[in-house]
Amino acid sequence: MARNSHEKRAERQWLLILLPSLVLLLAFVIYPAIYSIYLSFTNEALTGAAALRPRFVGFRNYARLFNDAKFWNSLFVTFVFVIGSAVIGQFVLGLISAIALRRPIRFRRVFSSIILLPNAAPEVVAGFMWISMLAGGDNATLSRIVSFFGVTPADWLQVFALSMIIIVNTWRGIATAMILLTAGLSTIPAEIYEAARMDGATPSQMFRRITLPLMMPTILLYMLISAVSTIAVFGLVYALTRGGPGGATEVVSIYIYNQSFTAFQLGYGAAVAVVALVISLILGIGYVRAMKVEV
Amino acid sequence: MAVVSPSETANKSRSDLIAYATLSLMSIFCAVPFFWVLLASFDGNAQLFLHWPQQWTFANYVRVFTKEDGAKWLFNSLFVVGSATLLVMVLAGLGGYALSRTRAWWKLPFLYAILLIRVLPPTALVVPLYKFLLTLNNAEAAMLRPIFGSYARGIMRWTGFIDGYLGLILVLATMQLPLALWIMKTFFDGLPRDYEEAALMDGATLIQRIRRVLIPLALPGLAAAGLFAFMSAWGDFLLPLIFLSSPELQTLPLGLFRAFLRINEIDYGLLTALAFIYLLPAVVAFGFARRFLVQTFSGGVKG
Repeated sequence: MARNSHEKRAERQWLLILLPSLVLLLAFVIYPAIYSIYLSFTNEALTGAAALRPRFVGFRNYARLFNDAKFWNSLFVTFVFVIGSAVIGQFVLGLISAIALRRPIRFRRVFSSIILLPNAAPEVVAGFMWISMLAGGDNATLSRIVSFFGVTPADWLQVFALSMIIIVNTWRGIATAMILLTAGLSTIPAEIYEAARMDGATPSQMFRRITLPLMMPTILLYMLISAVSTIAVFGLVYALTRGGPGGATEVVSIYIYNQSFTAFQLGYGAAVAVVALVISLILGIGYVRAMKVEV
Repeated sequence: MAVVSPSETANKSRSDLIAYATLSLMSIFCAVPFFWVLLASFDGNAQLFLHWPQQWTFANYVRVFTKEDGAKWLFNSLFVVGSATLLVMVLAGLGGYALSRTRAWWKLPFLYAILLIRVLPPTALVVPLYKFLLTLNNAEAAMLRPIFGSYARGIMRWTGFIDGYLGLILVLATMQLPLALWIMKTFFDGLPRDYEEAALMDGATLIQRIRRVLIPLALPGLAAAGLFAFMSAWGDFLLPLIFLSSPELQTLPLGLFRAFLRINEIDYGLLTALAFIYLLPAVVAFGFARRFLVQTFSGGVKG
């Protein structure tokens, strides 16, 4: 009886010390998320008549969305951006680094420190560094490198804008992929490789038959984490191209920003935001299931 | 048994060579962009392009603090991000402790919820958040103005929700909370419960338990949670961009971005010096966080 009341009091106290976090998350994440659904059904604006007296417009924003070529373009650009940088670029380079760093070679710490470095650079700084690398003219770093190989330089961020932001985002995210995949690799028991080597398996066979299958849970988790974090990328692309030229790099987060704070169409921007939220939540549910929450 | 055949040794050294070559290329790719910021910031004749400085100088750094409001931007960034980090550490320390120890029905739903919250893109939340904060801000201004009169503006600079420190601190902290709560929850899961059960038996109150059990034991976890919150909030550009407009509240990323927007007169020396100042705390924090990286991504932080 006494123990029971003891526990009851303890439970009340647990809730009490969690409460501040709960309040902040409710106020600044959950409420805005729900509020954005409401906003997406209004003609809310930042300036003009609609700012003073917003009206309920039903599905009009969504109908407009459906026929908006720029919206579909932004979804397509986001898709290519996520596949190119998170699913392919970061993953492949991260896996290569993780495997290379498993060998007992010298300077391992130096190498891994350098590969981790881009992840530490704030978005805006990363953007500016790459503006220097990718600028037009013969003196920019990339232009000089390709000239060395006999290729004609270009104004990289104008001509190959989407490919370039994919490269920059790959550069920034190799570290995360490398860390997660290193952790995944280290869970594979060395005896399995030993046994395979006894049976005369080649390295590429071992990679395809042992490493990849056993790494699948880690790879899946990594893919989900990096996909959702790539959808959320804003500052890096904004600093590099601000969505241009001509919408070539207008990922969905930039499109929301432009509609809301450049065109001042908050209601319409909210409709785009709801689409982004739904896509992220679908990926997020996969992520939650892959995490296998233990209590 | 352990005899290694010559062909196997040759194979090994060839694989090592491939590893060296791959890692060197990867390192060059990762490091080269940093050279521009580093070299140009000490270059008397800095340009957009990477080149070796002819005359080395500190003048660019001096200009950040004399010609521009670099000191103010640095202070604003440190103050806002520092406060948000402290807030995250306190809230996640308490909340993570509760999430680890409770047996209540809301435990699992809450854990699922914070994982899902982590995937929501901030850009998608920023519009309604802006509207909501504007409402709070106007309400607060309407309350303060009759009481403080002309001083209200100065107070709002600190406690305002839009274009004030408080709003940005709270939002920045909230965005870092889910990961921090998760780190702390897994951290406390790894701590033995004997101490606190003994303390509970002795009739220790919640405050006593927090002071004697939580704070001394939780430091490694709090350090990890704090470092991750700091790095993420320090690098954030979107939230200050939207919630701040007064020049005197401007933070480093905004100052940097706006210095770059002066198309006709970009001062690359100043820009790179500013970028380096902004970069340095992030790299230092990352160096400290390194040992937590693996554990955090692959599960929980172990003490």
